[in-house]
Amino acid sequence: MKAKVEIRFFEQMGLLILAGTIMVLTNMIGFKYTLIQSLQGYAVLGSIALAGVTISRFMSRFIKLPTMMYVSLAGLLLACPASPVKEHIIVWANNFAFLAPATALGAFAGISLGKDMKNFGRMGVKLIAITVLVITGTFIMSAFVADAVLKYMGSI
Amino acid sequence: MESSIKGRLLRYWKVYTGALVLAIISDMIGIVKFDIGIGTLTLFPMVFATIIGGLFGPDLLKLFTMEESGAAGAMVLVCLAPFMAKMGVGAGANLSKLVEVGPALLLQEFGNLGTIIISLPVALLLGLKREAIGACYSINRDSNLGLTTDIYGPDAPETKGTFAVYIVGSVIGTVFMSLLASIVASWNIFHPLALGMASGVGSGSMMTAAAGTLATIYPDYAEVIPVLGGASDMLTGITGIYMGTFIGLPLTTWLYNMLEPKIGRIFARNTMDSKVGGEAE
Repeated sequence: MKAKVEIRFFEQMGLLILAGTIMVLTNMIGFKYTLIQSLQGYAVLGSIALAGVTISRFMSRFIKLPTMMYVSLAGLLLACPASPVKEHIIVWANNFAFLAPATALGAFAGISLGKDMKNFGRMGVKLIAITVLVITGTFIMSAFVADAVLKYMGSI
Repeated sequence: MESSIKGRLLRYWKVYTGALVLAIISDMIGIVKFDIGIGTLTLFPMVFATIIGGLFGPDLLKLFTMEESGAAGAMVLVCLAPFMAKMGVGAGANLSKLVEVGPALLLQEFGNLGTIIISLPVALLLGLKREAIGACYSINRDSNLGLTTDIYGPDAPETKGTFAVYIVGSVIGTVFMSLLASIVASWNIFHPLALGMASGVGSGSMMTAAAGTLATIYPDYAEVIPVLGGASDMLTGITGIYMGTFIGLPLTTWLYNMLEPKIGRIFARNTMDSKVGGEAE
């Protein structure tokens, strides 16, 4: 059991390094950070990711929650005001642009979507219509609730 | 221990090198903006990488096989983890600021769920199936993409719905948000401060577009609108993932299970009718 967990840990680490290579390049080419800065940034973010995934694997024996929630929560706790290491975490993570992981994500997602391109083309117009509707709904309903709450509290 | 990684590298080296080359090319193109009169269309390197990657897939140019395409799907999840870590750090660093803004903003986050009731029925009427769940449960910004991919897997229809809205939103989001903000403001039914809060939908660029437009429309509130928008946006970034896990997705799935059998039936009859009319699907 322990050996299996270990193998998955190293496998995940290997994959994160593989993906990280592309993200570090994006951070340098697209966002003009230096190599050292990019490596520092990815060291922090990659480690948080690895920790989150590992905790999620362990916790899934008890309760099934999305892995990404653990990853995001690990980042939040390490950077929150109560964290003793918050300064290092925040400064190093700042060396990595918010959208630096997005290009690698897009590239892999694109290759993955390659098997459904025809399907996507057929649905194109519908998907644009849905996107417009989803954005409209979110904005108007938020404004509606905010307006009601502000009125109730007497702020406006 | 390393053998499984080595095995994967040997088997799928084309996918990894392909993604590397795609990313470098897309980053060198950079962010491209088109002025279309009513606003600016923004194309991020990610969009180029996705489109070019898709063109090389087994459906069109056939540079990658079905199996390699599947291996790329697994890598999407790996890439999401550092992305989510970055969002988590951003949320943690701003935690104290958010506590200051108070409960009004927090309640307003529930308004983001309102979109489900409007968009899901329409999506079903347009003939979407399980894609509709992923497309309609939220505004589908970065953290939602991570969540859906994680829960349903990279190849699930739900994930495809989320991904499609994510990509389309990243292209038209800023133009559409500033257009929408000015239209809704002209109705004069919501207070400018409420509109400012509503601008924070979980995407920095969309928020800036909407808040910027509102600030020009309401010069008296020009300073406070972006502050509220920014705070609400930050809050969405933090609460979005919990909102989606515990309320958004369960609610959408429940609504889907209730509506789909009914709407799906009407839709099936319509297609049959149109087939009779000679317009085969």
